[in-house]
Amino acid sequence: MLALAALVALAACSGDGDATDPEAVEASGVVLNVPEDYPTIQAAVDAAKSGDLVLIAPGVYREEVDVTTDNIVIRGLDRNEVILDGQFERQNGIRVIGANGVSVENMTAMNYRRNGFLWTQATGYRGSYLTAWRNGDYGIYAFDAVGGVFEHSYAAGSTDAGFYIGQCYPCDAVVTDVVSEYNALGYSGTNAGGNILVVNSTFRFNRMGIVPNSGTYELCYPQRDTVIAGNRVYSNNQDDTASFRWAVLFMGSGIFVSGGIQDTVRNNRVWDHDQFGIALVPYLEWSPSDVVTPRENWSLSCDESRKLETVAPEGSILWEPYESRVFDNVVEESGRADLVVASTGIDVSTLGNCFSDNEFATSAPADIESLAPCTKEGVGEGRGDWLTNALDMDEWFDRYQDAPRGRPYQEAPLPKRPVLDNMSDPATAPARPASKIPPKIDIDAIKVPDRIS
Amino acid sequence: MFRSSSRLVSTAAIVAMFFLTACGAPSAENLSSGSGSTSTHADGGAGSHSDHGDLVLEPAKVMGKPDRIIAGPQGNDGQFIVECELSHIASDDPILYPGRTGASHLHAFFGNVETSATSALSELLGAETTCDDRRDTAAYWVPVLVDGATVIEPVYAVAYYRAGTEIDPISVEPYPPGLTMIAGDPLAVDEQPVEVVAWGCGSGARRTAMPPVCPSGSELALSVTFPDCWDGKNLDAPGHRGHLRYSSSGDCPRTHRVAIPQLVFSVFYPVNGDVSHLRLSSGTLGTGHADFINAWDQGHLEHEVDLCIRRQNVCGISSGRRPA
Repeated sequence: MLALAALVALAACSGDGDATDPEAVEASGVVLNVPEDYPTIQAAVDAAKSGDLVLIAPGVYREEVDVTTDNIVIRGLDRNEVILDGQFERQNGIRVIGANGVSVENMTAMNYRRNGFLWTQATGYRGSYLTAWRNGDYGIYAFDAVGGVFEHSYAAGSTDAGFYIGQCYPCDAVVTDVVSEYNALGYSGTNAGGNILVVNSTFRFNRMGIVPNSGTYELCYPQRDTVIAGNRVYSNNQDDTASFRWAVLFMGSGIFVSGGIQDTVRNNRVWDHDQFGIALVPYLEWSPSDVVTPRENWSLSCDESRKLETVAPEGSILWEPYESRVFDNVVEESGRADLVVASTGIDVSTLGNCFSDNEFATSAPADIESLAPCTKEGVGEGRGDWLTNALDMDEWFDRYQDAPRGRPYQEAPLPKRPVLDNMSDPATAPARPASKIPPKIDIDAIKVPDRIS
Repeated sequence: MFRSSSRLVSTAAIVAMFFLTACGAPSAENLSSGSGSTSTHADGGAGSHSDHGDLVLEPAKVMGKPDRIIAGPQGNDGQFIVECELSHIASDDPILYPGRTGASHLHAFFGNVETSATSALSELLGAETTCDDRRDTAAYWVPVLVDGATVIEPVYAVAYYRAGTEIDPISVEPYPPGLTMIAGDPLAVDEQPVEVVAWGCGSGARRTAMPPVCPSGSELALSVTFPDCWDGKNLDAPGHRGHLRYSSSGDCPRTHRVAIPQLVFSVFYPVNGDVSHLRLSSGTLGTGHADFINAWDQGHLEHEVDLCIRRQNVCGISSGRRPA
């Protein structure tokens, strides 16, 4: 946990939003204390008005809280001792629905059947200094929400992803200085993209690390245009977590872009994976709700694409990985290959993905940086044989029968819940409703992080 | 997500079922051997309990049908969803054979664990549930899928609650406590409208009147769409259909002008490939239907209808990324 504390301390200096942001609503100065003024968090939230602060004293709150009021801030006085406990009976710790600018900070949500913290249909959201622990679906989750940040937060023990941003384009979102471990996935970004930065974070001891994918079970496909930079991604081989099928199937990989398009993977340090370090691979949908998005629609916003007619295809569909850029990463100790690009349906050399200036030992196909070097415009003229050491995706699907299945999330082993850093001055810091403008991150300044573990 | 208690319940129910079978009571083997006429075709349970003269079930078609199949990517329309494990399997039907234990063909029950031929609404309210939302104590049931004499235990079910197609969401009222609904036709001889009873694979949008061959990564699914208009008065009707209608062109008929949430109930089976050897306990694979009694925690139902349907929020989706 020393490493985590260091991370939190480092990122506290950058990344925080600007208190004078004109897009954010100003604090009202009104503070609603729980349980002093209101016996439950829900009662305080229901009484709060835009700009108010709901301030929660240490204690265990056996609640599931729905938030429908814009621009309120819900804060725990102690991140580790303000605990929302679902007791494996309740659905979500805090569910922000259709409310803009809501910040949730400095508390823990655990043992919920679905999610620890969820924002949906929101413009502007912020989750800071949150701990999501042993939840049945996601830890910290934004769905169909734009303009947000997850920062200085921690998620462990989720059946799906610890952190998840889904169904948005452009999303305008930042995930920074988080630690995600002992989940099926560290990060999932289904159908999310457009100015998403997943940076300066740690994804370890999950079944899989960072796993954006495309899929027609929800809207705004394909997944695209996400920057994954400056992360430590290691030892995502954890076979005793809760899980869902895909993560069982492809367990043991670090950064695994599944049917994603035009993503950027740079300056990450990735090590110790049974299968792949960084892989760009197809995503097979066995029972789709629409056809694969044609290229001319890749640039449509979520608002535009969701109005298109859908067509229910006969049989499965395959999302191929197109035009992603993988550079300046350090990738080591991968069982099958450090760097991978693969296709099931079409000639992988035509997908337009590129690889340059990575430190790595093995790749599939072999010598991947000679085959598909990055240029400013895209992929340069390559040389070599795409078939040498090429990955046969079909063999992976056959592995499912023997793969270690997920444990029920209630029972999957977890280490002791860590004691994590609090925000500064929780009792007195002014309320800061969420801006729809995420914190600025200078991507070019991000270096490959040191190897610590 | 599977609660050990519900596993015990269902296992016990199945053991009981085979015991009954051996004694000549309802079995998967001897069901639905009727002539195919809706007037005389028995709704299930042959054997010692067989007495169907009093079965009154209006034809499903009196309720109409939705304008189109309700399927496709989730995330556009306000909805709330509940995922439920199998509770128990029994030859009970609280709507068609109330008080007559074992009188029905076999049903797979989801949600409320106390649902039986003799369960009163007061017993259902506050009982345990197999649904992930513990406040959904509604009773859901479908005929069982059988392979010869073997019951194929469903993997799970999803209840989707939304406004009916083109219905103004703000007009949708929660179900009254105790509302009963039967969608689809257990007596169907002709192919049922795919807008009401549909088969598919996983959560995919392709829907057919008869089961498709699903690929190995995907589960066979039966989806039944319930009526979304109510007469505002009756919790049930003598033929179990008269109090309910489907909306059309965004309107409920004047006789049934209360818009209620449109429930789509999907049951997923661990079945891939050939389905020609399968049938339902109610008869052929074309006799799909589903039943519902509103025994939700009424306050919570009202909360969800308001937050998710009237205010058009996507309160949850079912991605198919199930615990595995």
